[in-house]
Amino acid sequence: MALTDDQKRGWHPVASSTDLAPRHVFHGRLWGQELACWRADDGHVNVWVNRCLHRGVRLTIGRNLGHELLCQYHGWRYANRSAGCTYIPAHPADAPARTVCSHVYPSLERHGLVWVALDGDAGNAVIADIPAGGTLLRQMSVAVAHDTVRRALEAGGAAGCSPFHFRDEARALTLFLQPVDAGVTVIRGILDAGADADIARLRALDHEFAMLRDRLEREHPDVPQPIAAEFRPVSEELAKVPERRRRGSTRRMRVERKWCVAPDVMAFRLVPIDGPLAAFQPGAHVDVHLPNGLVRQYSITNGPDDTTGLVIGVKRETDGRGGSAALHDTVQEGDVLALSEPRNNFPLRRDQLHTRLIAGGIGLTPLLSMARTLRLSGVSFELHVFARSREGLPFADELKALGGAVHVHTGLDAEASSAAFARILADQGEKEELYVCGPPAMLDTVRGTAAGAGWQDDQIHFEYFANERKLDRSGSFTVALARSAVTVEVPSGRSIVEVLREHDIDIPTSCEKGACGTCRVDVIEGEIDHQDVWLSDAEKAANRCMMACVSRGRGRIVLDL
Amino acid sequence: MITLHDYELSGNCYKIRLMLGFLGVGYTTRHVDFYPGLEHRSEAFRAINPLAQLPVLDHDGFVIRDAQAILTYLASTFDKGGSWGFGTSPRRDGEIAQWLAFAGELTGSIGAARLHDAFLFELDADAARRRGRELLRILDAHLWFQEREAHGWLASGENASIADIACFPYVMLSEDADLSREECPSVRRWLDRFKRIDGFRVMSGVFPTR
Repeated sequence: MALTDDQKRGWHPVASSTDLAPRHVFHGRLWGQELACWRADDGHVNVWVNRCLHRGVRLTIGRNLGHELLCQYHGWRYANRSAGCTYIPAHPADAPARTVCSHVYPSLERHGLVWVALDGDAGNAVIADIPAGGTLLRQMSVAVAHDTVRRALEAGGAAGCSPFHFRDEARALTLFLQPVDAGVTVIRGILDAGADADIARLRALDHEFAMLRDRLEREHPDVPQPIAAEFRPVSEELAKVPERRRRGSTRRMRVERKWCVAPDVMAFRLVPIDGPLAAFQPGAHVDVHLPNGLVRQYSITNGPDDTTGLVIGVKRETDGRGGSAALHDTVQEGDVLALSEPRNNFPLRRDQLHTRLIAGGIGLTPLLSMARTLRLSGVSFELHVFARSREGLPFADELKALGGAVHVHTGLDAEASSAAFARILADQGEKEELYVCGPPAMLDTVRGTAAGAGWQDDQIHFEYFANERKLDRSGSFTVALARSAVTVEVPSGRSIVEVLREHDIDIPTSCEKGACGTCRVDVIEGEIDHQDVWLSDAEKAANRCMMACVSRGRGRIVLDL
Repeated sequence: MITLHDYELSGNCYKIRLMLGFLGVGYTTRHVDFYPGLEHRSEAFRAINPLAQLPVLDHDGFVIRDAQAILTYLASTFDKGGSWGFGTSPRRDGEIAQWLAFAGELTGSIGAARLHDAFLFELDADAARRRGRELLRILDAHLWFQEREAHGWLASGENASIADIACFPYVMLSEDADLSREECPSVRRWLDRFKRIDGFRVMSGVFPTR
C-alpha cells in the first residue's frame, strides 16, 4: 500500500516531548513513514526520514552527538537542523555534496507532544487548541487500524472533534490518535489541567487503556497491510564525488550582530530570513554579495554545534578593492545581504590520530571552525595562531574556549616565525594532517618547511586567501572540450573562462585569481601551465585538473567539459 | 581467580561480562562451543553444570551456575556496601528479586525465539515471541512510571542494580528474535541510559551509545 495525499495532510503527534531525552534518538512512525526524531543540545527538535542516505540503515540505531547525528553503519554524519551530510569517513578528504541531505519533516512542540506534517506544508491544518497545563498519559500503542480505535473510543462515550482528536468529558481527557501505520494506532491522552492527576489515577487510566488495547487486538486480529515507506538513497556516484559547483543561487540573510574581534577585524553573525541554514562543513566559505556590487569570499568560523547563523570574520584591507571596507563601514546590524550556499574547497579529515592547524592572522577563520569540530569529535589537535600582537589576535575569546590546544605566537619577525614553523612541524607522526591558512608568503614558507620535515604532499592542506603570484597571460593555445565537442582558441591576454563564456559555456568561478578552487576542471590531455595557488604541487604534476580562470595550456589541451 | 565458562553470543553470558566490567574485576574465560558444537550438552560440561546451561562461574574453586545467581554472588562479593545488589533496603531487595525472576522469563521468551531464529533450535517460536511482546509491554509501562516516581531503573534508588543487568541483554537483542521495540519508548530510553553506565561493554549486535 502506498501513502495517499490525504494521509499526508495535517499535523499528527509522533512523540511526547519527554520521549526526546538528551542524546537519545527516538524511533517514530506516521502512516508507515519511519521517523528519526532527536533533540540537539541547543534544544532543536529534528524529525527526519529514518534512513541513512547511504545504505538505508535506520538512523535510530545511530548516535545523537548533540550537534550531529552519526549513522552507526559507515559513520556518515548529519547536521542539526539542515540534515545536511557533514562528513563521509570513507572519503575523509572530500567535502560531501550539498545535495546529500536527509529529508526533514516540519515539526513543532505543543501540549507536551511533538507534531509532524508529512506533506511538508501543513497548510491550513491547525493543531487542536486545548487548555495548557494538562498531564500527559503514557502512550498506548494498539496493533489495530485507526478506524477501529476511533469507533471504540466513540462507543466508550468520547466525542470526536476530528477523526484524530477526541474529548472524553467523563474522564476529563483529551485524546489524540496517531496513525502509526495502516494497522497500528497510538492513543495519546492528556488529562485536563486541574483534574486529579496523581500517580494512582495515572496508573488506573493506563490500566484501562491497556485493557482496551488487549480487547481490540483480540477482536481484530486481521490488520491491513503496512503502508510502504518513501525513501530515496543517494546514488553511489554522489556519495563519492563532490558535486559540481554551481554559480548563482543565493540566499538572503540578515546581519544579526556585528562586533569587533580585533582592531582591524569585524565579525558578522548572519541569520537566514526564511527557513533553516543550509548545511556547512568545517573549512567551508560563502560568497557575500556586498551593497557596492562586489562579491567576496569569507570562511565560516562556526563549529558544528552552532547551526542557527553563520559567523564570518572580515579584516579591513587598506589597499583592497573595497570589499572589506564596505562590510566595515557600510553594512550595519539589521541589514540584509545575499549569500551563496556554503562551499567547501578546504575539507577536514576526521580520521587521523592528530591534526596540526597553523593560522596566520585572519587566516584563522576556517581553522577556527576546524578546531571546534575536532574538539567536539574528540580528535586530538593543536592550533597555532600567528599574529602581530596580542591585541591584534582575532577571535581571542573563541580561542580561549578551545583551551590548551591553542598556542598563540605574537610579534615574531620572518626569521623567528620560520624557526617556530620548524619547531611545530618537527616530529611528524603516523596518521597526522596539517592544515594551514594565512598570508601567501607564510603559506609558502610553511609548505616548504613541512616538505623539508618529511610531510607528504597529501598530508598538507592549505587555503590561500589570495594569489599574489604574477600571472603570465601571454601565449595562445587551443582548448578542445571533449563532452561538448567544441574547440576554441584562447588568445594571449585572455583566460579559458572568458573565452568559453563567449561560447555560452559557463564554468562556475568565484575569485577568478586561482585561489579558491571553484573553477576546477578535469584535464583529459595536454600540457598545463598551472598558475594557481589552489592545487598542490603533486596535483599540478599529475596534470589531471586545472584552474580555468588563471592557468593556461601549451599547444592543444582537452578538457572534460 | 575467576573463570567464566562463556559463549560470546549468549545473552546470559553477556550479563556476567557486563557485571565484571562494571565492577572492574579481572577474569578469564573458557570458551564453550554452544553453537554449532552443542558442547554445553557434552558429558564433560554436564559434570560442571548438570543443567547443561551457560554461564557457569568458577571463583577460586567455588562453582556457581545461573546468570541471575552469579550476578547476586558477584554483587555480594565485590560490591560490598554498594548498590548493585541486595542490602540497601528490604523493599529494594524485593524489587531486585522480582526483576531477576522477570529476567528469567525474558530468557524463556525472547531468548528462546532468538535461539530459534539465529541458532536454528526447534521450538515454538511464535508462542515465545507473543510472550516476549507481552513482557516488553509490561516492562515499558513499569519504566514509564519509574521515570516519574523513581530514577528510571527497574528497582528504586538512584543507581542501576543487578536487575537491570539481568534484563538488559535479551531486551537489547530482541530484534534478533524479530521483536521490535518501536512501541516501547520507555524501554528504549532505559537501554540508552544503561549503555551510558561507566564500564559498559558491547557484544556482537549491541552498539555503543557514546
